[in-house]
Amino acid sequence: MIQAPKRVSVLIGDDEPMIREALREVLEAEPDIEVVAVAEDVDETILLAAQHAPTVAIIDVRMPNGGGARAAREIRSQSPGTRIMAFSAYGDNGIVDEMVRAGVSEYLLKGTSNAAIVAAVRRIAAA
Amino acid sequence: MTATPPRRQCDRNTPPKPPSSEDITLGLFVQNVLDYAIFLMDAQGRIISWNAGAERIKGYSTEEIIGKHFSIFYPPEEVAAGKPDWELEVAAAEGRMEDEGWRVRKDGTWFWANVVITALYDDQGRLVGFGKVTRDMSERRAAEKALTQRRRLLAHLVQAQEMERRRIAWDVHDDSIQAMTTVAMRLQLLAAKLPEESAESVRQLNEAVTASIGRLRDLVFRLRPPGIDSSGLVESLSSYLEQVVSQWGLTYALHDELKYEPPPEPTITVFRICQEALTNIRKHAHASSVTVSLATVDQGVLVRVSDDGIGIDEQAFDQLSGLEHFGMNEMRERAETAGGWWKIRGQPGIGTTVEFWVPAPLSPDGSQMS
Repeated sequence: MIQAPKRVSVLIGDDEPMIREALREVLEAEPDIEVVAVAEDVDETILLAAQHAPTVAIIDVRMPNGGGARAAREIRSQSPGTRIMAFSAYGDNGIVDEMVRAGVSEYLLKGTSNAAIVAAVRRIAAA
Repeated sequence: MTATPPRRQCDRNTPPKPPSSEDITLGLFVQNVLDYAIFLMDAQGRIISWNAGAERIKGYSTEEIIGKHFSIFYPPEEVAAGKPDWELEVAAAEGRMEDEGWRVRKDGTWFWANVVITALYDDQGRLVGFGKVTRDMSERRAAEKALTQRRRLLAHLVQAQEMERRRIAWDVHDDSIQAMTTVAMRLQLLAAKLPEESAESVRQLNEAVTASIGRLRDLVFRLRPPGIDSSGLVESLSSYLEQVVSQWGLTYALHDELKYEPPPEPTITVFRICQEALTNIRKHAHASSVTVSLATVDQGVLVRVSDDGIGIDEQAFDQLSGLEHFGMNEMRERAETAGGWWKIRGQPGIGTTVEFWVPAPLSPDGSQMS
């Protein structure tokens, strides 16, 4: 156990409440990760990212008010230190490319194991 | 013509005399043609000759019609509007006059006719009368109308099917996949809290749920490739080949020679036909590789989907009504409904190629240019 772990702050942006809650539980079960904010749509995601400047923002791709790509672009411009991870049911190349162009560092498919999600959060937080 | 064929009276040693142009005249031919009403009119439009085709199409015998004005064949409102006389005037002025429209038979029924009126002049250039050829186009017109209606209906069906598929895809994406993702995440959390002997069965449960999330994702993909609206044809096909076709154990190549991304409607048409062709390859071809080529040709998309499988025997294929058997009519109808064409060719042992073209005109402002 690391004595004073540097905590990774995370923002979750997903319009599906079940996913938000499950994701929060998965991440908060980890001692070095803290969920600092949870948003339900693109506007709220952008707003909370600006307020909290989290280490990592985990955003859904298909979200009301402009979709994950808009959220990613705004977060990159308003909170440049925040790394962005897309969390989506889509694995479509075009959508992955669009998200990467919008500034996403990692793209995880829904259905990925909890361990892989946690590992991805730590990986991009350390990058 | 003699009543008895001359050949019977011939000496066996004398070869029969071939019929001459005196025996077979143009007049005789005209008289006997059944497919066209061919008759002559004087300069005022009164009928002076009548053939078998005219009797068949219009229903009047020669005795009944000779001397009558040809306006008898026109619907009353066109007679009232002076159309018959106007047609003669045009024919007299320009040498000929062609028209398509309704005409009336002796029994009062109407038929759709193609009509050509030719002005006839004597050696001094004086108008002596008119020749008129009329063809009954009713059957062709009805067939064209039926085809148009069928195409329209099919286009509606295709559109409705696409909308329904899109709706189901969104439902599966927005509801089923999200719910099952949550279940999987919670099962993993639960497994971490349970003693090892119980944890294993929860982990297995999680694996089953995770596997079915993958299958649902494929289902969404087949129903409505998510990127097709935003990313276009090439990207969607490429994703489909990568994510679906490669899982079937087929290697693939995609050759993109498109000069521009087609608009949404042809995009979905091309995608669906490719999808069907690829599914056929999977089911029937015993192939190991498939090549999809896209090219811009004549303001449309020319597509070839080729495999290296067992191929088809084209003759046997036709005899077996293979088109229907392999659901290929659906591909053809999709292409034809979109205003294009579709064909399949192949050789036993060499492989099969599905080739089709659908129009994909650019919008006037060229906004589809990639």
